[in-house]
Amino acid sequence: MKRKKFHPSSLYLCAVLLLMYLPVVMVVIYSFNASKSDVQWAGFTLGWYQKMIHNESLMDALRNSLVLGVSSCAISAVIGTVGAVGLAQSDFKTKGLLENVAMLPIMIPEIILGMVFLAFFSFLGLPFGMITLIIAHTAFCIPYIFIVVKGRLAGIDRSIGEAARDLGASEMRMFFDITLPLIAPAILSGSLLAFAMSLDDVVISFFVTGAQTNTLPIKIYSQIKLGVSPEINALCTVMLALTFLLILLSGALTKTKKGKPIKPTISKEANQ
Amino acid sequence: MKKVKNYNWALVLPIYAFTILFVLIPLIYIVVLSLLRKDILWGVTNEFTLQNYRKMFDPVYLRTFADSLGLAFGTTVITVLMGYPFGYFMAKLAPKRRAFVMLLVVVPFWTNALVRIYGWMIILRAKGVLNHLLMSLGLIDTPLKILYTYGAVLLGMVYSLLPFMILPVYTSVEKMDWSLVEAARDLGANAAQAFLTVTLKLTLPGVLSGFVLVFVPSIGLFFISDLLGGGKIMLVGNLIKNQLMQARDWPFGAALSVVMMIMTFAIIFLYRKLTHSSDLEEFF
Amino acid sequence: MKKILSLVLAAATCAGLLAGCGSGGGSESSAPQSSAAPASEASSEAGGTESGGELNIFTWDGYFPQDVLDGYTEQFGVKINMSNFESNEEMLTKLEAANAGDYDVIVASDYIIDIMRRKGGLLKELDKEKIPNFKNIDPNFQSQFYDPENLYTVPYGPGTPLIVYDPSLVNVDIKGYNDLWNPELKDSVVIMDDARNVIGITLKTMGKSFNETDPAVLDEAKAKLMELKPNIRTLAMNNLQDVILSGEASVGYMFTAQVVMALQANPELKVVYPEEGMGFGIDNLIVPLNAPHEDNAFSFINYILEPEVGAKVSSQIMYLCPNKESAPYLPEEYKNNAALYIPSDVLGNTEFIQDVGEATELYDKIWTEFKQQ
Repeated sequence: MKRKKFHPSSLYLCAVLLLMYLPVVMVVIYSFNASKSDVQWAGFTLGWYQKMIHNESLMDALRNSLVLGVSSCAISAVIGTVGAVGLAQSDFKTKGLLENVAMLPIMIPEIILGMVFLAFFSFLGLPFGMITLIIAHTAFCIPYIFIVVKGRLAGIDRSIGEAARDLGASEMRMFFDITLPLIAPAILSGSLLAFAMSLDDVVISFFVTGAQTNTLPIKIYSQIKLGVSPEINALCTVMLALTFLLILLSGALTKTKKGKPIKPTISKEANQ
Repeated sequence: MKKVKNYNWALVLPIYAFTILFVLIPLIYIVVLSLLRKDILWGVTNEFTLQNYRKMFDPVYLRTFADSLGLAFGTTVITVLMGYPFGYFMAKLAPKRRAFVMLLVVVPFWTNALVRIYGWMIILRAKGVLNHLLMSLGLIDTPLKILYTYGAVLLGMVYSLLPFMILPVYTSVEKMDWSLVEAARDLGANAAQAFLTVTLKLTLPGVLSGFVLVFVPSIGLFFISDLLGGGKIMLVGNLIKNQLMQARDWPFGAALSVVMMIMTFAIIFLYRKLTHSSDLEEFF
Repeated sequence: MKKILSLVLAAATCAGLLAGCGSGGGSESSAPQSSAAPASEASSEAGGTESGGELNIFTWDGYFPQDVLDGYTEQFGVKINMSNFESNEEMLTKLEAANAGDYDVIVASDYIIDIMRRKGGLLKELDKEKIPNFKNIDPNFQSQFYDPENLYTVPYGPGTPLIVYDPSLVNVDIKGYNDLWNPELKDSVVIMDDARNVIGITLKTMGKSFNETDPAVLDEAKAKLMELKPNIRTLAMNNLQDVILSGEASVGYMFTAQVVMALQANPELKVVYPEEGMGFGIDNLIVPLNAPHEDNAFSFINYILEPEVGAKVSSQIMYLCPNKESAPYLPEEYKNNAALYIPSDVLGNTEFIQDVGEATELYDKIWTEFKQQ
């Protein structure tokens, strides 16, 4: 399709997008505000960024959150993907049930889930800390990856796999050479989402964390006594900038790979 | 094939284990908790009771459910009106731009939800950005009171949930068979008629999917009504949180959660009946 | 609940990656890699139960000034681990599951300490031999309902919620809670989003106690509370001072630290000591029964009770100063703050908010009804 000329519908798209970014832009602007409260504009400053970097407990919490996000996301990516692939090729009687049950944690109010995890871990006698955090986050991250990968697998033409097997490919080879590249975008997007969820979770984290591991969201929400610090605005801005950078980077990466011949056709088929 | 099956057992074992440990057990825990009597001082007793469910029929608490459903309905209607055209236009963009717009829609969700709502507070308050703008344009003389109203909550809800209407609509429009529209045009229908009789009908599953994805969570989101509504609108989500954290009544909070989950299931069940699709994530 | 939505986000990114370019994530199979490293780090963290050079504090974020913490670490060589909670109820749920261990020093509010003491098995009796500075505590803040014999607690953040208003916007001469009902204040009052405090001041205007349990009286209070509704601009728990400073509301009933912050930002604001009698609350330092580093906990409490340190704490966290020896070290600005230096004859008739047992349910119902639009 050739590039179209300007169309009035673009105006609508832009208007709605503008609305979506308005509050985000405010957060960015007020991270440069000299005043401690975000009530009035008191001049430009980079002070909050400086304070943020030198705030040891904030950086500690950030580091904990990143470690937690990456590891729980990675573990649940393996379990969720492997599970979805295994289920897609099988016909256990409990399959349908499992698929339905896997959706459930998404519907249980977080605060209750947190309390259950707390009771459960203390029953098992696990020491609260990074380990319990990772287990709990893995538990609530799995469904996202599982469901997204499952949806992607359902779109893949089984005959491709069968053809490969007919050509003598082993089970392992088939998975790594054919299935995995096809579902990779789903795994990636599921993981990105799981990471975002992990990075945003307060309630469950609070209940399962230990005396020595604070996470970033817990810190933000527990500022209730003395007011939320603008350092948080600064931190959000930095994280937003990083997200955009990541997107640009992945955009550039996909561009350089464009020459590959087979995959686009397959994914087009799979897309239907 | 038999060999493959054995192999699969090992593959699905972890996910089965995790599901049983972290989904079934919590579920049982909630149901049991909702049937216990609360301890006056702290926690629960070992006594079983149906009191927590009976309590829900008190007009005060029924009203909370009604208010929640009302707000959820309003939110859904507005998101359909705003999100449908967006999803539709987006699907008609060139593929490259389409992907770009899609990312733009999703990216704000990678920032802290609470902080984004603070962003809206900065805009809406009496001496805020919006009032400044309106006053400098000479449209108003005194600042409007927008923050802490029902309208502000509705705005916050629509803002937070709009993508979940846009995306399913987009998917269903993208998947649509355009030759049917052309056929209708060939048979003499004008653009509006073709849209109403063909396009709308074909994209209805997307709208319904969006309906579920917007309606269900809007019952439970509590921090929006706390922050933008000034705590003056009580939703089921707020009620549950209050039971657990202020009234120290865990069993009632659990009972409310059970009812909320049943409502969620009912809506999804209805959706499946209506669309004859087996899964909510049909549009993936 | 919002989680269900995020699924769609995943779908979107997935579709986006596909649409952007078919060859999207071919090399992403290496994603699950770094799972081993954090696990080993965690296990080393979890093993810190033997008494050593550490101290685990559990409190709201920002409730201990950083320079005070650093000072303690420097002097005693003890590493401080800070973890945070959002509410007292969260803290107690957590502490019970940890079997009254894991943490060494906790800051908690009066009523929850009362519950903890009555439940038993949660609080450690303070070893006053190890806290010689215990004598510095102002007895006005001691021997309260939650700890009549001063066995478990050291007052840390005492405060009283006060009314604060902007005289340039309000034509009413506000003297007490009852003035909040004045029809002139339509849609201009900000008040804390807390059942017990708000129903409490309603009871006060009726000459009753903050802790009333009689259903008939509570019913009357409910009727009166409903009349307050048109005046309420917003209910909130944090940053209440911003609501006044931004001109969103002109009158507020809020916690001490918030009143102080409002006054610091706008000295023109007026503070009211409500004539019906003030509510009062004390956040205390406590040591849980099975604290892993008990000796450090006592030495930390002793350090906080040093006159100079106490002054540093109170002037930064903006609560009343419970250390009677700290007075000479308190900055002038602190002493001149009307919300912090309350004349003792006024402060005299204060009342704590206590657990009301069975009546909790009634309070919740009134509150739910009040918050419905």
